[in-house]
Amino acid sequence: MTYNTNIFLLIFLPLTLLFYYILPKKARWGVLLAASIIFYLSSSGRLIAFLAITTVAVYLSALLMQRINDSFKKQKSKEGITKDEKKQLKAAAQRKKKLVVLGAVVINFGILFTLKYFNFFAEGINGLLGLMNVQPIPHIDFMLPLGISFYTLQAMSYVIDVYRGTCKADRNFGRVALFMCFFPQIVEGPIGRYGKLADQLYEGHAFDYEKFMHGLQLVLWGLIKLFVVADRANIFVSALFGDPSRASGAVVVLGMLFYTVQIYADFSGCMDVVTGVAQMFGISLEQNFARPFFSRSVNEFWRRWHITLGAWLRDYIFYPISLSKFFAKLSTKAKKHCNEFFAKTLPVAFALFFVWFGNGIWHGADIKYIVYGLYYYLIMMIATLCKPLTDKFINALHIKVESKGYKLWQMFRTFLFVNVGMLIFRAESLNQAGLMFSKIFACFDIATLWNGKLYSYSLSLQDLYIVIVFCFVMLVVGFLQEKGYKLREEISKRNIVFRWSIYFLALFALIIFGAYGEGYRAADFIYAQF
Amino acid sequence: MEKKIIEILNSVKPGVDFEGKTDLIDGGVLASFDIISLVSELNDEFDIEISVAELVPENFNSVEAIANMVKRLEDED
Repeated sequence: MTYNTNIFLLIFLPLTLLFYYILPKKARWGVLLAASIIFYLSSSGRLIAFLAITTVAVYLSALLMQRINDSFKKQKSKEGITKDEKKQLKAAAQRKKKLVVLGAVVINFGILFTLKYFNFFAEGINGLLGLMNVQPIPHIDFMLPLGISFYTLQAMSYVIDVYRGTCKADRNFGRVALFMCFFPQIVEGPIGRYGKLADQLYEGHAFDYEKFMHGLQLVLWGLIKLFVVADRANIFVSALFGDPSRASGAVVVLGMLFYTVQIYADFSGCMDVVTGVAQMFGISLEQNFARPFFSRSVNEFWRRWHITLGAWLRDYIFYPISLSKFFAKLSTKAKKHCNEFFAKTLPVAFALFFVWFGNGIWHGADIKYIVYGLYYYLIMMIATLCKPLTDKFINALHIKVESKGYKLWQMFRTFLFVNVGMLIFRAESLNQAGLMFSKIFACFDIATLWNGKLYSYSLSLQDLYIVIVFCFVMLVVGFLQEKGYKLREEISKRNIVFRWSIYFLALFALIIFGAYGEGYRAADFIYAQF
Repeated sequence: MEKKIIEILNSVKPGVDFEGKTDLIDGGVLASFDIISLVSELNDEFDIEISVAELVPENFNSVEAIANMVKRLEDED
């Protein structure tokens, strides 16, 4: 069962909503937990055991750390204890907590590593073993539990937050379990934080008509993105990337643009659906997309695209590495012996490498994902290192950086960089990505866009027009949101005829323009495969 | 202290009027790169150690919030 199926939208969700609102408030979290377990079992069956292991592991390790903290506080407050003794106690407590958090990291990332990356690394090691005539490590076909890449990060954020003291360990196992498996976010996020989400999930929410309708509108908008845009774009993208050997450069460029549109509509559409579903229960999930194509730099793009993954990597990889004692010392030395710019850039450059390597490999056990991550690392490092130079250049040419023209140029440039990244991301292999890029420069042949060649990639004119029109609709909606319009609130303020006309228009758009019937099928969520 | 913090903020991110601003993080004025430089400067200037746990928007959204955090860390020392 996934979010875009009839069984979810017409049976599972209405029944869960019904039980949620007819039961007393105190029991409502139980409905969400039961629904989440049913949802998970329907998709992953016995693999739920892995989710259970992770949940128990983080629950116990958080409690253990809390106990260490409490015991430290008790000892610290004893009469007659000296400052030095307090310091020693603190250091001892810190050491114990470090061991616990390390254990949780090993268990959780160990499961993820074994199930998702074992074969990838085994193949690498086998290459070396082959040279030494040693028996290779066998290939093992593991089944991946639903949402493992997402819930592992979510679980680790809870444990690390308890370790850091920014979040208290929860004694209520039900609340921890619900945080770990809440059905709207288990498939592909958003990656939630315990402090913001757990109480919201556990608290029984009263029915709020406005919130409910806002949620429903968001679900409808998300489904339009999924069925009308992503599924239609997918037909051409799948055909092209399935066999790009006979494609011209122009067709490759169109395919690259279509894939960017597809992945945006697919992922942000799914986020709209799940955020809307959560809102129908009165729950606010973290925002995962903020109109990324209005970004003026690649840096900004990643603050607006898959926001919760970026925030996770920032809080649990970037900050700890760049603020570590080692880099603080190195930076101070560099400040003395080199220049200030170098001293400032050094920790950032080092920490960013791990962030982008992590971002890449998190997406999948394939070298192309690592290259995809490092591609962004390279862009960011070049931009950071060249900043003094580009600033001088901008000043010398008297370019007004806040002018509309310059902003548009920056957005266009970012869009280009993102598209190149998307081609690497979607290609079956790095070789295929290379072949496709070479076609753009070697045989562009723009005439192939209108001489009928496109039909051989299953792209009909109808699909092309519908995707273009709905891209324009998404652009207008994004533009209005950028200007500060809260569209759902604007719609709510209008009279009943206007409101329901909009709802029916959206529903008809979904029914009429969605990709159903012969030759079409609802594509799997792209991010659910990570 | 506030004056010194504004001075540091201006060196980290020139061209921004920091006084009276209450959404330095939430409004995207300070990005994670800036935070790293800011933390390093604050550590050096006030002889404190800002840990990763302190890197939450509430501690960096305004000059006042930064000053409160610095004072708290100075007291803890």
